[in-house]
Amino acid sequence: MLTTPTYELTKSEKSFISQHLLFAFIALAIGSLFGPLQAFEFSGVDFYPLLEPVIQSYYQGLTLHGVLNALIFTTFFITGFLTLTTIYGLKRPLKYPLLNRIGFWTMVVGLLMAAVPILLNEASVLYTFYPPLQANVFFYFGLTLVVVGSWIEGYGFIFTWREWRKENPGVRTPLMTFGGLITMVMWQLATLGIAVEILTMLIPWALGLIDGADPQLARTYFWFTGHPLVYFWLLPAYVSWYAMLPKQAGGKLFSDSLARIAFWLFLLLSVPLGFHHQFVDPGVPAGWKYIHAILTYAVFFPSMITAFTVIASLERAGRKRGGKGWLGWIPKLPWNDPSVSAQLLAGILFFFGGIGGITNASYNINLVIHNTAWVSGHFHLTVASASALSFMGISYWLVPYLRGRRLWSRKWAQIQTWLWFVGMLIFSNAMHVLGLLGAPRRTPLGEAPYVPDEWSGHLLRTSIGGAILFVSAYMFVFNIARTWWSKKLLAGPDEEVEIPVAESVHPAQETPAKLDWWTPWLIGTVALILVAYGPQLIEQIGNIDLSSPGFRP
Amino acid sequence: MAVSRRKSKDMEEITSTEEEFHPKGTVLVLAIFVLVLILLWATVYLILLSRGMTTV
Amino acid sequence: MSEVPGDGSVQTSLHIDPYERNWMRLTVVLLVVFATAVTIAGFALGFQVPSPEERVDPNTVAIGDGPFGEPGLRAYPDGSYDLYVVAQMFSFAPNEVTISAGSEVTFYVTSVDVQHGFKIQNTNVNMQIVPGQVSKLTMTFDEPGTYDFICTEYCGSAHAQMYGTLTVEK
Ligand code: HEM
Ligand SMILES: [Cu+2]
Ligand SMILES: [Cu+2]
Repeated sequence: MLTTPTYELTKSEKSFISQHLLFAFIALAIGSLFGPLQAFEFSGVDFYPLLEPVIQSYYQGLTLHGVLNALIFTTFFITGFLTLTTIYGLKRPLKYPLLNRIGFWTMVVGLLMAAVPILLNEASVLYTFYPPLQANVFFYFGLTLVVVGSWIEGYGFIFTWREWRKENPGVRTPLMTFGGLITMVMWQLATLGIAVEILTMLIPWALGLIDGADPQLARTYFWFTGHPLVYFWLLPAYVSWYAMLPKQAGGKLFSDSLARIAFWLFLLLSVPLGFHHQFVDPGVPAGWKYIHAILTYAVFFPSMITAFTVIASLERAGRKRGGKGWLGWIPKLPWNDPSVSAQLLAGILFFFGGIGGITNASYNINLVIHNTAWVSGHFHLTVASASALSFMGISYWLVPYLRGRRLWSRKWAQIQTWLWFVGMLIFSNAMHVLGLLGAPRRTPLGEAPYVPDEWSGHLLRTSIGGAILFVSAYMFVFNIARTWWSKKLLAGPDEEVEIPVAESVHPAQETPAKLDWWTPWLIGTVALILVAYGPQLIEQIGNIDLSSPGFRP
Repeated sequence: MAVSRRKSKDMEEITSTEEEFHPKGTVLVLAIFVLVLILLWATVYLILLSRGMTTV
Repeated sequence: MSEVPGDGSVQTSLHIDPYERNWMRLTVVLLVVFATAVTIAGFALGFQVPSPEERVDPNTVAIGDGPFGEPGLRAYPDGSYDLYVVAQMFSFAPNEVTISAGSEVTFYVTSVDVQHGFKIQNTNVNMQIVPGQVSKLTMTFDEPGTYDFICTEYCGSAHAQMYGTLTVEK
């Protein structure tokens, strides 16, 4: 029973996953165009007049940047990658491939539906779409379909796992599949917030069926989803760090049990802490803000476990490769493999992302940085590095695997990962400092009248970092495009790309069976959400006041 | 005495090759991380304190 | 997903490496220390965040008889002030305010259109301004000087222009 038959993905499975990636990379390519334009604007170099026929404002561009990079690139990449970890981990095809196809095409229709109003400058409300700023109703329909599509794909994974469980009673769910399932189950619960926001408030309001929105309640709904959204971005990267990277580094996973405990804690704790985005909101009692601050501290814990387990796995690999002394194992890691270097560098950037995160979460400390450039500096270390750079690293083996073609240039890939690292260090440091000095986020600082001279050096560093990041993003896109349509097919078995699957030091089957048992965790998760959100939801919904008419920006 | 010491040394060798791996490099890396974390977090905390109280 | 997996395992004890166990302990200690520091600052020293103050109708709040009908400073005999501010695209009313050093000011800010921000530079006054709600914080200004208060939430095309100044005189 413990033998592991190999499973070769069928052609149609590979092309299904590839379709996800294609949309993801196109979104990244377009979304990333605006990053440097924003960063250049900060130091007074304004390209927007040149874009006028297509892009009419800084904010139309910023909406595209946020939506395409943070919502579309991530969601399409994640659903595609987790399709792979489901099938390949369980070594069986999807139970209902048609269901997953329906989910995918629902997301595509949603994407196109939301893209049209954004491109027509009818939805320049940024990716948080806070009312009373109002977008064309198709923007909301489109986002809804993207979320619903991702739900359907998630159901597909769950049905497939259940079928596998029937066929394999008593076997531990393979870690890569397990992590993916946790991600998708958490996502189902988490997205209830924006689902309710959009369906019960924003769509009727945009259609004129109700006269007003309740902006405070909308924020509460939004951040119910908004915080776990960051774990939706992050956990797939963790799947790779735990279940794949140790193998790529030439070693094994240090602890399968702790990896699973960390994933369970993320399920439990991802949702009930969204008020940490609303610390300075007028309509949420300070006591509840404080409780969510403490719960946010708790969710720091599984990330600290992850740091230890992943680094120890890497250390073990580095020592196997001949690394000596305290730190001698680090240079022995296979840095020349761009997939590895991308993920290692993403991990280093995430150290700083974590430090910023715990600072943001610290209740009153939030007064110092709320809505400043610091926040933007922070999430470029998390979603745009820990996640996005890891996804780029994964792509360096995944695209050759799916397309059966050799990576166009390893050298470019290596340089690309380092440029992202260096560019991001400069960019994010400048943004953090600007935030501490008081620079607001979501603001074209080049035209703001209150900007003191003191900021100019940092604004310039933002632009320099942004330029380096842009070069890096396009080296990635170019490399992937050349690989995608390359004529150089992988020749013979020795060139074949293998999906990296890390064994663990203690075989997974030795992990306690309880750590594969959903019921208690699901009950706990729902209970904690009810405790942390129930009273405020009752209060805020009970006092709903739909008095804010819409404003078209 | 001498015999028993030798014995324990043998045992150590056997275990240290595969199973006994002490992640002391990890400990060092994370110690540095924690120091930086405390330093940066405390910096912002002190900025908070230096900018004066906001009461409700 | 409720079935209890049958126990097909070889051995089911939870291995936790002693180094990692200590790391987990240290993490808990660290978080407790941070939480304590934040709690002291918040509840003993008085570094607080806004809490619900009042619900208003954004459509009428600035035209009625209420304090937002005539936004601005209200001085009290003890030297303290209330400052009522109306935020709207793309300005604050009032946008120039002068007070004397050492005075305690309670800010009441609301919006008549979309969400805005209200952040006084170099202080901890930083609030989300949400239509239908009143954001309130109190702060004492000891240092004379000019403090910009800026809008920190995207509110439309000229968001970057939205600011005012608070002058603290000797
Ligand atoms: C190509 C390199 C990139 C550069 C130079 C860049 C630069 C920037 C800048 C300067 C801003 C701040 C705009 C403002 O606050 O006014 C911004 C916002 C943002 N970026 Fe990036 N970025 C890049 C890539 C990414 C990636 C890969 C992601 C996510 C996967 C991302 C996600 C975001 C998000 C979510 C925002 C906030 C949008 C908002 O406030 O509504 N960025 N970016
Ligand atoms: Cu959050
Ligand atoms: Cu504003």
